[in-house]
Amino acid sequence: MPVHIRRLILVVVIFAASAYAAKLFFTAESFYEYGHYRAAAVPQIAAQEPAFQTPRYCQSCHVERHAQWSANNHKTVMCETCHGPAKGHPQSGKLLIPTETVKLCSLCHEAMPERPRVQPQVVVAQHAKSQQCIVCHNPHAPKIAGAPVLVAGDADAGSRTHAASCTNCHGAKGISPNDTWPNLAGQNAAYLARILAAYKSGDQKDVAMTPLAQALSDSDIQNLAAYYAGLSCNGTPSTPQVGDVAAGQTLAESNCVSCHGKTGIPSNPAWPRIAGQKPGYLVNVLKAFRAGLRKDPMMAGVVRGLSDPDINHLAAYFAAQSCQSGAEGETAK
Amino acid sequence: MKKKTKLSSVARRSFLRGLGRAATYTGALMYGGRPDAMRNAAAKSSESAAARESFPTPDYDWTKHRWGFGVDATKCIGCLRCVEACKIENNVPDDAHHFNTWVERYVYLEGETRARIDSQHDPVNIAASGTQSKYRFANRYKDAKVEKAFFVPKLCNQCTHPACVQVCPTGATFQTKDGVVLIDDKYCIGCQYCVQACPYGARYFNVRKGVTQKCYWCYHRITKGLQPACVEACPVGARVFGDLMDKQSPISLFIRNNRVQVLRPETGNAPNVYYVGIDMEVS
Repeated sequence: MPVHIRRLILVVVIFAASAYAAKLFFTAESFYEYGHYRAAAVPQIAAQEPAFQTPRYCQSCHVERHAQWSANNHKTVMCETCHGPAKGHPQSGKLLIPTETVKLCSLCHEAMPERPRVQPQVVVAQHAKSQQCIVCHNPHAPKIAGAPVLVAGDADAGSRTHAASCTNCHGAKGISPNDTWPNLAGQNAAYLARILAAYKSGDQKDVAMTPLAQALSDSDIQNLAAYYAGLSCNGTPSTPQVGDVAAGQTLAESNCVSCHGKTGIPSNPAWPRIAGQKPGYLVNVLKAFRAGLRKDPMMAGVVRGLSDPDINHLAAYFAAQSCQSGAEGETAK
Repeated sequence: MKKKTKLSSVARRSFLRGLGRAATYTGALMYGGRPDAMRNAAAKSSESAAARESFPTPDYDWTKHRWGFGVDATKCIGCLRCVEACKIENNVPDDAHHFNTWVERYVYLEGETRARIDSQHDPVNIAASGTQSKYRFANRYKDAKVEKAFFVPKLCNQCTHPACVQVCPTGATFQTKDGVVLIDDKYCIGCQYCVQACPYGARYFNVRKGVTQKCYWCYHRITKGLQPACVEACPVGARVFGDLMDKQSPISLFIRNNRVQVLRPETGNAPNVYYVGIDMEVS
């Protein structure tokens, strides 16, 4: 073989070898394993940790909240949409509890012409006038159970029914003579009508109240509600208390005031006024909610974390408040 | 004359074909069975060896799935929870100009023939959001005479014939066997050819990382049996996700029970996001 041909072959072989070496050196390990890309990138991408853990993750600890949420209208809104991603929770701290609810809720419920008609929408400025949404709505069970009923009863007719059926326990002027029965004088008419209707229908049960309420007609209920709402709530001051008023105030501020008002006078007439109410009655009712004997989606969630002493403190605090709506802030301390 | 020309051209073609074949064999001979060598090298790395049974993770085999996405624009309320969830889930830059998924608003006012279109980057919407990391649609049409209006969620279509993959010079973006187009951060050189190639504007360049990013249907979630974050966050079920191989999956039912369409079918990318309830003007 002539020498120039051998040299040529040598050059070609050296070129091919160096090209192959370069290819081996520069190509990533898994590059052609599945195609023209680095196969190892796929497991790397798949290994990222999800930030959103889904409601099933939340359920493992927040069982009751999850049960309430999943049974109500917001069940399609996952926990982390409002509370933020649960990655790292609970180890790395608490999740957000939204406070700016008007801003949050209006994201979905502000009336907009682009939204489908089936979406519940409100004109925010007309609907609540800068009040927080959670004052009336429980975000986990947003439909209001006690929407204010318009009470158009006859107070005089109510007074006759009252004289016949109610005076024995609730007092001649709607001020109960003992600690465990509630005062009715000055109570919100819409609340009274709702609760009497609940006794009548069996949604709420009580040994004494159920048969009495079943004997009432719908108009009787309206009349009674109108009658009690018109009475003066100023009765004898509450009996000695077991709880601590100051401790009760702290508890009330974090648990009760957004619905029942700072001193137990709520903004929504569908909810009861609890200012100046009998402490023994308040204790019993809170315990009944806690035990599930009285049913209300909002109250069930609130009382869940309350101990017996907490309940006593709360009862003492609200019993000590003035029932007059004119008295803003704290009064009878 | 004609016949002769044809014969000679056939001869030339077969000669060239033979030449090509010879070159291939020579090349194969010279590379000394390179594919085998590659395979051995790959087998040596424990990562690949373990994954051999089921790739990309031990619990997930990508040959057993083919993902699809559905959008029902008639249900979308424009709350943008999907957009915020996506931003958090995928570390998307915290501004109103980079999105893996976004929502467009189409509004036809009385007397106007074309839709007014806006999205999260619109200054009016940024002002309504207050900050660039929270998103909401400004209620700018509440007093206008709106004839027709709707929202359209958008995201990467994970096309069957993705133009972005075709133009990538480094193999940094590619299609997985289960039909998702991924980006290999370590191989992306930031040339942004793919950003130009995508007919849907689904890709953007992350200046801080120097790589291109886009929606990948939360590949890290779907390989763990979860839904993409946006689907999980949607409160009205406007986003549907599932396995096209499973005839009872949400997406299969969605496609079967609705008259669906895809965006820009004329580009030949064969997109895999199926839309219901959008107008001609949406593309």
